[in-house]
Amino acid sequence: MTRKNFSTRAPAAMELAALARTLTHHVLRLYVAGTTPRCIRAISNIRAICDEHLGDRYELEIIDIAQQPSLAQSEQIIAAPTLIRILPLPLRRFIGDLSDTDRIAVGLDLARPSGHIPHRTGS
Amino acid sequence: MPDRSSANAALAEANKELRARLVIAEEMLRAIRAGDVDALVIQSDAGPQIYLLQGQDAEANRFRGEMLAQVSDAVIAVDLDGHVIYINAAAALLYGVTADKVLGLYTSDIYTTLWAKPDDHAASITALERDNAWRGENVHVTHDGRHLDIESSITILLTKHGEANGRLGVGRDVTARKQHEEKVLISEIRYRRLFETAHDGVLILNPATRKIIDANPYMTVMLDYTHAQLVGKELFEIGLLKDRAASQEMFNSLTLSKQVRYDNLPLISQSGRHQDVEVVANLYDENGVPVIQCNIRDITARKHAEAHVQLLIAEVNHRAKNLLAVVQAVAHQTAKYGDPAGFVARLSDRIDALAAGQDLLVKNLWQGVQVAELVTAQLSHFKDLIGTRISIEGPSALLTTGATQGIGMALHELSTNAAKYGALAAPEGRVDITWDVSNANPQEFTMSWTEFDGPATVAPTRSGFGQIVIGRMAEAAVEGNVEVTFAPAGLGWRLRAPAVNVLAQPGRSQFPVPTDVR
Repeated sequence: MTRKNFSTRAPAAMELAALARTLTHHVLRLYVAGTTPRCIRAISNIRAICDEHLGDRYELEIIDIAQQPSLAQSEQIIAAPTLIRILPLPLRRFIGDLSDTDRIAVGLDLARPSGHIPHRTGS
Repeated sequence: MPDRSSANAALAEANKELRARLVIAEEMLRAIRAGDVDALVIQSDAGPQIYLLQGQDAEANRFRGEMLAQVSDAVIAVDLDGHVIYINAAAALLYGVTADKVLGLYTSDIYTTLWAKPDDHAASITALERDNAWRGENVHVTHDGRHLDIESSITILLTKHGEANGRLGVGRDVTARKQHEEKVLISEIRYRRLFETAHDGVLILNPATRKIIDANPYMTVMLDYTHAQLVGKELFEIGLLKDRAASQEMFNSLTLSKQVRYDNLPLISQSGRHQDVEVVANLYDENGVPVIQCNIRDITARKHAEAHVQLLIAEVNHRAKNLLAVVQAVAHQTAKYGDPAGFVARLSDRIDALAAGQDLLVKNLWQGVQVAELVTAQLSHFKDLIGTRISIEGPSALLTTGATQGIGMALHELSTNAAKYGALAAPEGRVDITWDVSNANPQEFTMSWTEFDGPATVAPTRSGFGQIVIGRMAEAAVEGNVEVTFAPAGLGWRLRAPAVNVLAQPGRSQFPVPTDVR
């Protein structure tokens, strides 16, 4: 009975936490190396993810390390494209063209893992 | 125990950090193996070095990117959602942005598009759907408020499978060119209007062929030729220069001095109308091509006016000599007949009488003097008596210059005589001055001076100058007849003359007006 009660409350709490995160202002930094196809796809993909989940509550800074390699040093960037979530903490890092948008959204805590069936209370 | 506990906590934290790094390293290796990254950053003594992981496609793409980066036109590529995925240096400079700030944004975040016509936007979308391409002009308003005229070319980007995956826009800033074109258009309108509306004839000629290549509308008015008839002709063919040799001479002079001027050339229109013209021809460079511009001014009216002025000067000179001759004769006669002691006063009075008539003529622009006006002027010393002891009565009658002079002098002599010896010398004396123009054919002008109630008149025993003035001089002025009576009631003076000798035509100057000065 207790487990059941726990299991009915826990997803609701998780959903609230996820909702709270999507309401938080996000600061993202995408490191690209010029206009390579993957970098261009990465820009396009992260914009799409943010537009879908965050609306205008995000700030995306795109840094071209091909133009200014020194900028790669501060965040210890070793490949491009690399996306770093600066805020909210903790820092998160994603490498690649971000084309698996569902995985990235989950990684950014903007969505729940696919396959998860939201538990419905009541009926 | 606390030391051990804290050591364990530190170890756990370090372990967590190492795990996190391991996860990142694993993720990195996975991404590199899977070909998910395009570049690696290798730390070196000189700082981070970027190594692009290039395949054939990557090299081709890099090469294309380099080319686009180098072109002076603005290049922006967007994906299917409209996110900016590429912006070259020229576009960044044009719109005042940097690539890192606008990549991933929409083009509307970089500029706002204004369309010249409401349908242009829809037409561009239709063209892109139909042809995968659109080319046209619009205005881009940058975020700092600049309005840029852009010549745009937008192409749909296709994958190798033929599916659309974005758009490539190439824009050229033509603001300066448009502004220049606008200035040129305004200038063209302004100077075309001068050319079209000028009241001087303007011809443009080709120096090589000596033929007319353009003519303004006034030129067609001057010559009675149509524009089409003028174009292709040489100057001597339209009557401006007498023959081919004259034309050749003018072109030779133009080649040497760049300008030729003719102060007075005869020009006959196609319908035979004669005009005097002044011609100024200039040879100048028109965007690398030499052309001749001839300005042709009709100076016929000016020549007439100049001739008229010359005639007027001659006439004034003639009249001045006449007047001086009259003054000379008056002075001579005054000295001959009068008392030497009163010579100066008498001469002065007579010259005043002459001047009064002259003043009236000048005032009336030599178009004649009304009799009433002349009488009033000559009797100005007795103006208080006019209407009481002096009655003036007669119709409107305009006297010629000669009649004004002759009758004016006679009136002066009659009034002077009346004041000294006649009706105006007695307290009750009166003078009636009348004139009339008969309806008979030919018309006759009559004028009389009749004195009443003055001292008894006595016919003079000798003829003085005053009698000559009221008699022979008045008769000579109008080729008429004067009758003087010395009745007991007072002196009577009556002038009769053909009206044609006395009366001026209203509105016509007594100065001659030339009809043709050539």
